[in-house]
Order: sequence, then C-alpha cells, then structure tokens
Amino acid sequence: MPAITADRATLAPLMRPRSPTEPGRVSMNILVVEDEPKAGNYLLNGLQELGYTVNLARDGVDGLHLALEHDFDVIVLDVMMPKMDGWEVLRRLRKEADTPVLFLTARDDIADRIKGLELGADDYLIKPFSFAELVARLRTLTRRGPTREDEHLHVDDLQIDVLKRRVSRAGNRITLTNKEFALLHLFATHQGEVLSRSMIASRVWDMNFDSDTNVVDVAVRRLRLKIDDPFQLKLIHSVRGIGYRFDTQP
Amino acid sequence: MNAMTPLRSASRLSHSLTLRLALVFALLAFVSLALLGVALYRDLERELIHRDDIALITRIDQLRTFLNDSNTLDLIKAKPALFQNMMGNREALLTIGTPGQPPLLVVNPGNLTMPVLTPVAMDHRLTLDDVQHLPNVNGVPFSALAATIDSGDLGSLQVVTGRLMTERTAVLADYRLNVYLFATVAAILLALSGYVLVHRGLLPVRRLARHTQSIDVGNLNERLDSQGAPLELLPMIDAFNAMLDRLDKGFVQLGQVSTDMAHELRTPINNLLGETQVALQQNRSTDAYQQLLASNVEELERLARMLDNMLFLARTDPRSALRQRQELDAADEMQRMADYFEGPATDVGISINAQGSGLIWAEPMLLRRALANLCANAIKYGAPHSELCIHANPTADGIQVQVRNHGQTIPAQHLPRLFERFYRVDESRERSAQSNGLGLSIVATIMQLHNGACHVSSADGITCFELFFPARQQHE
Repeated sequence: MPAITADRATLAPLMRPRSPTEPGRVSMNILVVEDEPKAGNYLLNGLQELGYTVNLARDGVDGLHLALEHDFDVIVLDVMMPKMDGWEVLRRLRKEADTPVLFLTARDDIADRIKGLELGADDYLIKPFSFAELVARLRTLTRRGPTREDEHLHVDDLQIDVLKRRVSRAGNRITLTNKEFALLHLFATHQGEVLSRSMIASRVWDMNFDSDTNVVDVAVRRLRLKIDDPFQLKLIHSVRGIGYRFDTQP
Repeated sequence: MNAMTPLRSASRLSHSLTLRLALVFALLAFVSLALLGVALYRDLERELIHRDDIALITRIDQLRTFLNDSNTLDLIKAKPALFQNMMGNREALLTIGTPGQPPLLVVNPGNLTMPVLTPVAMDHRLTLDDVQHLPNVNGVPFSALAATIDSGDLGSLQVVTGRLMTERTAVLADYRLNVYLFATVAAILLALSGYVLVHRGLLPVRRLARHTQSIDVGNLNERLDSQGAPLELLPMIDAFNAMLDRLDKGFVQLGQVSTDMAHELRTPINNLLGETQVALQQNRSTDAYQQLLASNVEELERLARMLDNMLFLARTDPRSALRQRQELDAADEMQRMADYFEGPATDVGISINAQGSGLIWAEPMLLRRALANLCANAIKYGAPHSELCIHANPTADGIQVQVRNHGQTIPAQHLPRLFERFYRVDESRERSAQSNGLGLSIVATIMQLHNGACHVSSADGITCFELFFPARQQHE
C-alpha cells in the first residue's frame, strides 16, 4: 500500500489526539482521494493526528485502485480531479463495494449534490468546510448499527438522566432550560470531539445555516455558568477558531 | 452581435411578411375581378341570347305574314337566291316546306346538319320559350325555331329558322379572355404595388431593428426612438424600452455588487495577509502562532460566510430552492426564533415577545434564515431593556410576519435601499466580523423566491420589518 506519511504537525494541536486506551475510541481506516496538494496534506495530517489510519491518493485512478484493493471504513472523495473524476470513481467503486463515501465538492449546486447521492455517495461537504465538521461526519458514517440512546450519562462527577432531563454535578442538582439541556446532551454524547458552532446550531436549534450571530457562544457561556463555574474541573473547553470540546481533560 | 444571428436566420426561414401581403393582395384582386367579370359575362351572354331569340321569333312572325301571299311563294320558288341574300350571312338557316315533301326553300350556306324539331302549332303565339337551344351543332351552339305557317292556298307550311352562334361564341370567348386578362394584370399590378407599399410601410421596423442591433452592454442607456414610428409599433417600442430600463438597472446593480464584493473581500484578506506577514517577521512563541492561526480562522470563516451568502443570492431558481416547501405552524416558528435568540437578547436586556397563529407556506430553512437575519439585526440595533416583537398574523391571502424592535429610527432616505446588497446605513459602525451587509438582501431574495413581499418602516424609535408569505394555492 503506497502509504504516504507526512510529518507530524509542529504546531500545537488544536485537537487532542486520542490515545488508544481511551474508552470510546474508534479505530478508523480512511482513504482520502484528493488531487489538490495542500488539501491532501492537511487532510492526511489532521486525520492521522486524531489517531486514524489514513491513506492518501493524489488522483482518481490511484484512488479507485486503492479503494478496490483494500478494505476501508470510509472514503473521502474529491469530485474535481484530473484523469478520472470523483463521479467516475464512485460509479466504478459502487459496482464492487459499498464502502461509505463522503464526497467533497466546490460546486454549491443542488443538482450536483443529488447526482452524488444518486451515484451512491453517503454524504457530502461543500468547500470550504470546517475540519471539525468533516471529522464529525466521518464518525457518523462509520458508526455501525443504530446507537442506543443512553438513559444515563456520566462525565466525571456530572450525571445526566436523559429521560427525566435531570442534571446534577457532585451531588448538586442543576436546573437547565430546555435548550441548555439539549446543548449539554449534545456535548456529553460527543465527548472529546470538537463541535463546530454551525453543527451545534444545527443540532440544538435546527438552524442549518451559518447565521451571523453569537447565539452558540452565548448559550455555551450560560451553560458553563451552571455546570462549570462552580467546580474545579472544567468540562467545556473552547477550541480556538473551531468551536467547543466537552472533555474531562483540558 | 452574436445574439442577432439566430433571429436573422429565423426570419429568413419564415415567410416574408411583405411577400405574403403582396400575394394576398394579388389573390384578392384576381378573385374579386374574376368574379365581377364572370357576373358581367353571364349578363352579357343572357342579353345576347335574348336578342338572338327575339330575332328568330321576329323572322317567323314576318314569314307568317309574308307567306300568306301566294305571290311570295312563287317568288321563293323562282328566285331562292334572293332569300339567301336576304338572310345575310353564312350562319343563318331557313327551310320552308310541306311535311313529307322536298322543301320549297332551303337556305343553308353553312351546310349545317338540320336538327329535327317539333314545329310550334299555327295558332300558337310565339314566345322566347319556343326557341330551342342546341348546345353543339358542328361544335358551335345553335338556336332554332320551327313553326307551322298558314300560307293560304298552299295549306300549312313548316318553317324552320335557325342561327349558328359562331359570332356570339367568338364575342363571348373574347370577353371571357379579356376578363381573365384584366384580372391577371390587375392582380400583378396590385401585388407589385402592395409589395412596394408594404416594404415602405415596414421601413420603421427595419430602422428599429438597426437601432436595436446597435444597443450593446456599453450603451444600455440608449432608448428606441418612438418618434415617427407608426402607431401600431408604439406598444412594442415602449415595452422594449421598459425592458432596456430593467436591463440597464440590473447591469448597474450587478456591476455595483461586484465592486462592493471586491471591497468587502479586501478587509479580511488584508487582515490575513498583514497578520501573517507580521507573525513571520521573527520567531514567536507557540501561543502567538496559535493566536495568529485562530485569528486567521476567524477571517477565513468570514470569507466563507460571505461566499456562501453570495452564492445563495446568485442561486435564484425557485423550483429547486423551494423543494421542501410546506405549511408550517406560525406559532411554532415564532417560538423557535424566540428560543434561538433568547441568549443574545437576554444579554442586552431585550425581551422577546413571540406570537403567531395560522400557517406559513414556506421552505422551512429559508423561512428560518430570513427570520434569523431580521432578529439578529433587531437585537443588534435594539435599545437595551426594550421588547422585540415577532408576530405572525394571517391575512385574507396569506400571512404577515412582523419583526419589530425599539431603537434608533432609521432615516427615511435609507429605507428603500436597505434590502440592497452591501447597503449599510452607517458605513463605519456596522463593518464588523458578524455583519457582511448581505443579511437583508438575503431576506429579500427569500421573499422573492416565495412570491412574497418584504417591507420596512421606521418611525418614532420603532423599526418594523414585515414579511408577507402568500397562502398555499389550490394547485401547489
């Protein structure tokens, strides 16, 4: 396998790499097919830093070859490529394998998106997209089988009773509004993942567009006031330039 | 101009109006003149037959008187040539005789085959009906009259007089030919003059076409000249000029938007470039680099958002945009907005009053986007500790959604332009990372997609944005 390994990023990582011992770790074998050199490199580095096994193909022909030769959990496929474009790769791949495919497109065209999904792609992202969003989508695609909703969630000394919508920390009952609870629930079910503001807005308020507001920041601040400020160990962490991460470790 | 080529070739393929009108003129002239000619011909024919028939009757009448005298009969027998001359020409025919015996007199210079005719009784007064018309004797119509005549001492004689209509036929044939000839000549003349007249009449159209062809992107402000144009062309000229008005305005706006967008891009790009270059000037701490990158991310997100908005505005195909259109509960949607903005509103002490009833026939994401843009503005410019009202009220033909806040009154001159792209009431104050001057134009575009309307009013410290969504129609 022509694995292309890149140097580890010298910058301080914005996301904490997962250690193999950590509970909930998902090992993921990802194929990235992307001809744009910079984009390919950052996808490779970024995903590797998160502890995933990543292969990068620089054109469609190599990508299809790799995809058919090996067993990947998910494929990230750029549409605009020389030699063989993403649609063709997808068409040929679907004849033999049903590996989940997320395609990347620079064209914000509804017809384009429909074409991709009809050809058998599982999801898509429009460039420019946030890296955190890509990671979240990849996780969703590789999550096998229906995930059972946990009735009780524990993070450190924080207890969440999902059915009764009750929250307590260190034994103290915390009263949350509906939206605050929804936000906390989202955080708790995506522990350790960086959630972008647009993803939070979409999941908590069903607002699927980038709005020019600080709604998410305000909501997070209010939630912090109740579940973090009175306690020593902070659970909600701001990730500069990206969003928020809910974790027991800073 | 490439755009003109298909039009021109199409006109070459389709019929020429001039030619068609000329041909129609010709046809009409020919048909009407021919009909007139035929009518006159019939009249003449009838008249000629009438005269000929009367002549035959007169001849028999004369003979009735004439032959009553035995001298005359002797004269006939003695000098038949005298009678032949009396008859005058080769077309006439006369026989006088007793039935069963050789005729006393036969005047038949044309050697015609004698038709067998039943003679009219002696005491019968001769009328036109007694004249017999034989359509074809030696190829020519023939009229004849047979009568029994009392000749006194010789008893009753049978007289047949007839006339071959060679001359009449020739006259009528001439007449017929003339009718067709005149009709044809008149038709050709009319066609030619029609062609010339129509061609001249269409001169203004060709002038307009030339003028239209000269109008290009560069001189969109030029208008077609309606002076001297025929009355019939005025509506077309006016409509065309109105279209030019709209195009001109659209082009100016488009150009303005491109310019504005380029200016808008300058700020974030300048920040990115400057900050990054300064950062690279010397070695810095990890923290400084992180800060720089986070700042870059902020600027890039701003660019991405602007791009997203520009693309949204450029994409105005209602069919694909409204694929998810449905009837939404107005109360739910108002409450959703109140929930969404509760945090930022509470921060500045604004309370949200959300009320609604009825249904909104809209694409949910677009409706929410429009309302979110209005609410975000309303909170940003709302006076602290005031109330923000989000109300939906059904009307006769749809539903009216109001977003009303208390704050500074927007000067009246800005109101009509608020929904334009990149338009800002206050240039300096509002240029921030959060606002890119496209929010309200997105609202306007969303309302346009829904066939609705948006309106803003501002007076006495209350600014009210109104959105109208038409109700679902039967066929939708």
